[in-house]
Amino acid sequence: MIEYIVSVLLIAIIYAIFSLGLNLEWGLTGLINFGHVAFLAIGAYTTVILNLRGVPLIPSMLVAVALAGLCGALLGLPTLKLREDYLAIVTIGFSEIVRLILLNEEWLTRGPLGMHGYSRPLADFVSVDYNYFLLIVVLTCLIVCYFMLERLVKSPWGRVIKSIREDEDVASSLGKNVFSYKIQSLVLGSAIAGLSGSLLAFYMRYINPMNFVPIETFYAWIIVVLGGSGNNRGTILGAIILWIFFSGTRFIQGDLPITPSQAGALRIMFIGLALIILMMFKPEGILGRKEELLLEQ
Amino acid sequence: MMQVIINGIVLGSVIALAAIGLSMIYGILNFANFAHGDLMALGAYLAFVFNVIFEMNFLVACTLSIILTSLICVLFEHLIWKPMRRKSAGRVSLIIISIGLALFIRNLIIFLWGPDIKRYALPVRRGIDIGSLVITQNQIAVIIVAVASMFFLHFVLKRTTIGTAMRALSDNIDLAKASGIDVDSVIRYTWAIGIALAAIGGILYGVLTNINPNMGWFMVLPIFAAAILGGIGNPYGAMIGGLVIGLAQEISTAVLPTEYKLAVGFIIMIAVLLVRPQGILGGV
Repeated sequence: MIEYIVSVLLIAIIYAIFSLGLNLEWGLTGLINFGHVAFLAIGAYTTVILNLRGVPLIPSMLVAVALAGLCGALLGLPTLKLREDYLAIVTIGFSEIVRLILLNEEWLTRGPLGMHGYSRPLADFVSVDYNYFLLIVVLTCLIVCYFMLERLVKSPWGRVIKSIREDEDVASSLGKNVFSYKIQSLVLGSAIAGLSGSLLAFYMRYINPMNFVPIETFYAWIIVVLGGSGNNRGTILGAIILWIFFSGTRFIQGDLPITPSQAGALRIMFIGLALIILMMFKPEGILGRKEELLLEQ
Repeated sequence: MMQVIINGIVLGSVIALAAIGLSMIYGILNFANFAHGDLMALGAYLAFVFNVIFEMNFLVACTLSIILTSLICVLFEHLIWKPMRRKSAGRVSLIIISIGLALFIRNLIIFLWGPDIKRYALPVRRGIDIGSLVITQNQIAVIIVAVASMFFLHFVLKRTTIGTAMRALSDNIDLAKASGIDVDSVIRYTWAIGIALAAIGGILYGVLTNINPNMGWFMVLPIFAAAILGGIGNPYGAMIGGLVIGLAQEISTAVLPTEYKLAVGFIIMIAVLLVRPQGILGGV
């Protein structure tokens, strides 16, 4: 039982980190990234590919995080000067293309077979159940990300990106380079997603393209919107609630007269519906502040 | 090469049909409807239900499906989009709601009809050989239906009061309101017509290949690329955009692995955004 709780906690924390990246982009800056999973995939695959070719873990992770951030910048360049929907469309496209590359470039990614056999941090030195140790690692990453983001939010930089979310004309009339701030936010958010990708690879011990399907992006969206867009603590809370929901529904699934694929579909229908209802009636989520979230024109 | 061009025109006319509706709704309601692809899939599945499960004639099944899909969207307009306009919600909220709706519809399809590929009960007909080229009767039918639908839309836009009102709303919503146009009713018609075209597109796609729950998702990228290429809000631009994307995707298979078809639409979209974000025919 305790092993199960640790494993649920692990995945919830990894998704909390993943979603903190989205919260920075959407919750704080107002950028619609519908391809967040691409950066998770880039983080995981870069770490694993480099490590399997003999690069030690820490440099592999650093390259993974940097590459995810760089891809964020490349997607921002053609879109962030235009209206906000273009980023959404381009990121969706990007995440599909990343997945196509993972599936088809077998020389690099082994395609649908996936990759395994890579090392995990200090795996040779940990004698207890490795997941306990990994829990400490991911928890440390979460805490570092959380405090870094909290500091950023309260810094002048954070005030500028929030003002861009509220009304970017005001920000630019005050002489702020809105485009540059948006790119920075996208780069940092994508880099955080890249980090969560590395951690996901350590947790899974085996990654394949099926781990990076588009729905993962929308798990992050429901986490951020439910917890409260713009609120980092809300994002962590949202991740925990989502994984309690997943493991809870897994327990009752056996009692319902439906197939596993129907159960999976029902779960995502529920998430879609929750997203609609939250955006219509409680856009500030659980911990967000309504007066801070200006979703009107 | 000619074969690839024929396939491209066929695929392009399906993309165009879907892109027209997306572009019109985008122009008039001012938001990108990410559920558009999944509404295409819904149209394709409803036709499947009438055709295969209720064993109706294929054309009757299609007609019922197109009407029903449109009605469902008018219902969504009442339940979701109109209340959100009343709250003067920004388009970012609408975009997120549309993705929620997309997830809901796609998984409802999986829940009701399963994740497997389905096909319509249509007789397999021989292809027609023209020299070394093969064009199937289905492909010919798809082109005819697509062109007829586009002419019908052209007639509605140019010759009817509602079409004129749609164009007015797409140009300038405040001016349209001031001249006494009933905005809500025009928006209802826009949904009905735009989604009817999407449903036709979904059915045609199903006729050409097969029906599966992810078909809408895989169409999202090409139809957005087509709408952006043609200029958002411009139905005629969407037609051209659809054709260009369809042709580009099929022609690319001559040099690239077919798996990367989708990437071609994506690259074109990025290029358009960088060079001419208002699209070739201009948009809003």
